[in-house]
Amino acid sequence: MASKFGMAGGIPERRVRPVWDAIDSRQFKNALKLSTTLLSKYPNSSYALALKALILERMGKLEESLSVCINAKELLYKNDLILIDDLTLSTLQIVFQRLDHLDMATSCYEYACGKFPNNLELMMGLFNCYVREYSFVKQQQIAIKMYKIAGEERFLLWAVCSIQLQVFCGNGGEKLLQLAEGLLKKHIASHSLHEPEALSVYISLLEQQAKYGDATEVLSGNLGSLIMIEVDKLRIQGRLLARAGDYGGAADIFQKVLTLCPDDWECFLHYLGCLLEDDCIFPGGTNSPSLHVSTLIDCNHRHLSDDVFDSRISRASEFVEKLKAEAGSDSIRNPDLANLEIERRKIIFGKGSYDKLMEDIILFFSRFGHLACFSADVAVFLQVLPGDKKNQLLEKLAKGIASSATSSKNVLGQHITLFKIRELIGDMFPLPEGDLVGFAVQMTEMYCQNLPLSKDLDVQESMFGEEFLCMTCNVLVQLFWRTKHIGYLLEAIMVLELGLTVRRYVWQYKILLLHLYSYWNALPLAYERYKSLDVKNILLETVSHHILPQMLTSPLLVDTSDLLKGYSRFMDEHFKESADLTFLAYRHRNYSKVIEFVQFKERLQRSSQYLTAKIEGSILNLKRNANSIEEAESVLESLNFGSDFLDVSNEIQSKKLTFNEDLQLRPWWTPSYDKNYLSGPYESMSNYPRETLRNDVKETESKVTRTIEKRSLLPQLKSLLESYAKFLQLPFQDAVVLVNSVASGQKPLEVFSPNLIGWMNFAVCLNAWNLNSNGITIPMNWELLCSLLQQSVSSKIKTAKPLLSFPGTDLSILVQLVTEPLTWHGLIIQSCVRSTLPSGKKKKKGGGGGTSDQSNTQLSSSIKNSIISLNNTIDQVSKWLKEQINKSVDGDIDILLSSINCDDGGPGPGKVVKILEKLVSSVDDLEVGERICHAVKPWKAADVARKMVTAQGTALTDFLNVCDSKIKVLQGLKLQI
Amino acid sequence: MTTIRRFCCDDLLRFSSVNLDHLTETFNMSFYMTYLARWPDYFHVAEAPGNRVMGYIMGKVEGQGESWHGHVTAVTVAPEFRRQQLAKKLMNLLEDISDKIDKAYFVDLFVRASNTPAIKMYEKLEYVIYRRVLRYYSGEEDGLDMRKALSRDVEKKSIIPLKRPVTPDELEYD
Repeated sequence: MASKFGMAGGIPERRVRPVWDAIDSRQFKNALKLSTTLLSKYPNSSYALALKALILERMGKLEESLSVCINAKELLYKNDLILIDDLTLSTLQIVFQRLDHLDMATSCYEYACGKFPNNLELMMGLFNCYVREYSFVKQQQIAIKMYKIAGEERFLLWAVCSIQLQVFCGNGGEKLLQLAEGLLKKHIASHSLHEPEALSVYISLLEQQAKYGDATEVLSGNLGSLIMIEVDKLRIQGRLLARAGDYGGAADIFQKVLTLCPDDWECFLHYLGCLLEDDCIFPGGTNSPSLHVSTLIDCNHRHLSDDVFDSRISRASEFVEKLKAEAGSDSIRNPDLANLEIERRKIIFGKGSYDKLMEDIILFFSRFGHLACFSADVAVFLQVLPGDKKNQLLEKLAKGIASSATSSKNVLGQHITLFKIRELIGDMFPLPEGDLVGFAVQMTEMYCQNLPLSKDLDVQESMFGEEFLCMTCNVLVQLFWRTKHIGYLLEAIMVLELGLTVRRYVWQYKILLLHLYSYWNALPLAYERYKSLDVKNILLETVSHHILPQMLTSPLLVDTSDLLKGYSRFMDEHFKESADLTFLAYRHRNYSKVIEFVQFKERLQRSSQYLTAKIEGSILNLKRNANSIEEAESVLESLNFGSDFLDVSNEIQSKKLTFNEDLQLRPWWTPSYDKNYLSGPYESMSNYPRETLRNDVKETESKVTRTIEKRSLLPQLKSLLESYAKFLQLPFQDAVVLVNSVASGQKPLEVFSPNLIGWMNFAVCLNAWNLNSNGITIPMNWELLCSLLQQSVSSKIKTAKPLLSFPGTDLSILVQLVTEPLTWHGLIIQSCVRSTLPSGKKKKKGGGGGTSDQSNTQLSSSIKNSIISLNNTIDQVSKWLKEQINKSVDGDIDILLSSINCDDGGPGPGKVVKILEKLVSSVDDLEVGERICHAVKPWKAADVARKMVTAQGTALTDFLNVCDSKIKVLQGLKLQI
Repeated sequence: MTTIRRFCCDDLLRFSSVNLDHLTETFNMSFYMTYLARWPDYFHVAEAPGNRVMGYIMGKVEGQGESWHGHVTAVTVAPEFRRQQLAKKLMNLLEDISDKIDKAYFVDLFVRASNTPAIKMYEKLEYVIYRRVLRYYSGEEDGLDMRKALSRDVEKKSIIPLKRPVTPDELEYD
């Protein structure tokens, strides 16, 4: 029961305090000593034992801790005389939780609640245990018990939430909602409700059952006064009416909201949607409590008659005019934007005018065109304009800037907006090379010329014209794609590097650079840029897609492993603490957050990136330890020999993965992580490929799901080759035939592309199968396999081009060949060598030369040949790498710099860098301020080139080290046979 | 133009363009979720057309007696949406909730003493420097405790500046 005064777990507090003090100051050894003394005085105290378990756990002695904790638990059960207090229970609970034994903690509380029924404190502890275990039904049962005992509103709401959780996150049918509604109704009849959050839950319950009328009634009754902010109440009311189909009533309500909050854009869309009786504003499938709204650009109101449409639209227009008049000269933009939306709807309905829409955009531009968000704001309106109108609009906007008489900062802003709109509508793609260069030059010049505007800004503040450099980069990359002239790509890098020199905080530059460096095989530099973004916590889930995929197929094994570990640690920590935070929401009576938290945790648990990281992390671990069969075996053991992966693979089929990456911030040329336009041939596009983003994402999602499923089979291949073949898109037998015909030279290696690595892994495992299968053998043997591996490596090396002159050269395939199939094959060889050799002891005693039958001799000669072949194959890679690495750095820098050295005056790269160099040589501290001046002055194009060349060298050296270590292992094996 | 609504967990997955800014701290999950679980009315997000996250504010209400007050823990606006008074709107919302719903006496916030642009902005929003907290930020930089009185503090007692700086351990927590 509750602790007696001055007592802790039945022990005088003064005796316990020193133990806690030692724990708090992390002196665990001392704490342990003190707790032993305590135990000698109170040998029958569960609390003293629990304390000891806690200390052991903190010291990392997990097994010992668990056994002490179990003793404490047994003592608790055995000794009827002891009081069971919450302190003992909660201490036990903490230790059990940290030891991953939630069930034991729960049973302690269950026992205590059984022994002392009707003790609310203990019951709350038990409720918390069920929250931690996500046992929604049990949560509900104990909450109801508490409600019956205490009659408190909060316990009832705990029960109601637990019911909602069963429906939305468990297997409970929707009928349960009716039960919850009944419980609440009964309570309200006798006690009413006192918490705003309780009312929200009640309304959501009704809404989830499509009882919109009932919900409206509740809201407008007495209970409605619980919602203290008027607009909040109105918003709910409007939503309920619209969902019930009362669009007229809803429109009136939203109009009221807009009068109170004239800048609320979403509310305006609801208002207009209701007037036009648009079903899209509150999309169906409303019974999920998550409140997400669609992007609201779709609309579906074609069933209105012309007259009705006209009258509704004119009502909207009049209202917007009124809002505009009331807003006066305030910076409220909603009414202007609202006019655009009205015109857009008219066009969609077939009654609008493009010219009117353009006119409105121009008007809007004259007022707000200088704002950085302008182009994104009008994007949806530009979409409805036909191509020629878009070009007309551009001309008019350009004229508008020339004639405007605003401050220079605003003119600058308008120029930026104009270029952004250009990017958006994509009139640049078809232009001749010279014109594009012209744009790049113009934007770079504008950046330089406007530096004085930022003279007095703090380094922390965004500078004027920062966006120009991103846009210049975009144009230069487009030029590279078109001409394949590396000078343009180098200039794109230079522009951004200079920008970072001026102000080192611009994350947009960093993201663009990291992709450019990755593409150019300077991954160490890309990773450095990524690290400077300081991506941490939840950003790991949304932002690490910029670097993770490249790292996974790179030779930077240590960095990759750090990256994966950091990410997994973050996710796992959240999964551990999430339930306690959910309970916090319960305790503070913020019931709506309860369901939100549980759903969010589930969303993260189903994250495709999380699954990828889990699987790739283990494969990486295997790769890193593959030079020693013993270490590789212990890695495999820790993976339950692959059966954990198999579970993952099976699970994937049954659950829907989530994709939480924020792809919006990716550069145009690589809109998703498995797509890079620069790697394909140039194709003229209507714009930078943003419009297709949504489709791309869908496509990527399905690919990722398949990849994870496939990769999760990898460590368990032997018995799963058949499933694996499925992913290579052939029936098993056909796949085996294909592998053989390529190995024997009847078919070219190209039949395996684009999935060379997958096929090679398959072949390696076919051979491994034969070693272990008693009976059925597959047509594959050491010689064939070696020839296959040899072929694949040779062909890649033959076609490999110098990295520097050929950005986008796919080094990763070669890296993957070495670190995957060749590595797995090496492991199999190691295992065979070990089994053919007598064990260490025997070797000493017998001195070798035992009786070996013929097949064994055959096998060892096969293995010997394999070792030699594998050695030669890797050596080939190693030699190629040395050739690359041994090139002179200065020579490489010269190659790079000559690519931007144009003297002929014609189109070509070099002009942008010239402007940068001019800036550096002429920068003046009076004009741009001391800080900018000092930052710019030491900048040199050659330094940027040197960094890149060095980074490429580092990546190659890492790769070389991987190869060399493998060669060393193979040579050791050769001596053993 | 701007829709301001309660912040929810899913917004954590959408705020990267705000949080990549070097002045915006990305806290650990339990930090955000503790705020959501305890003070959901003090955690709001602003969205632009197309549901783009413009910025957000997070805060809490705490203190005893006459020091019962709203606190701004973080307020941030993405570069794309600056210079249009969004921070002001978000701050006003938090002040309103502290004033009308929780009947607090004042709202306060801490800012790095070197962050001149932010200090200027808070001054424009009628916050005054109440006291300096020595080495408040990681034991290095001083912090300024800025306050704005609410309607319940009729005599504006809560914002009379202290004469001497305080150390972090002198700050009252509850």
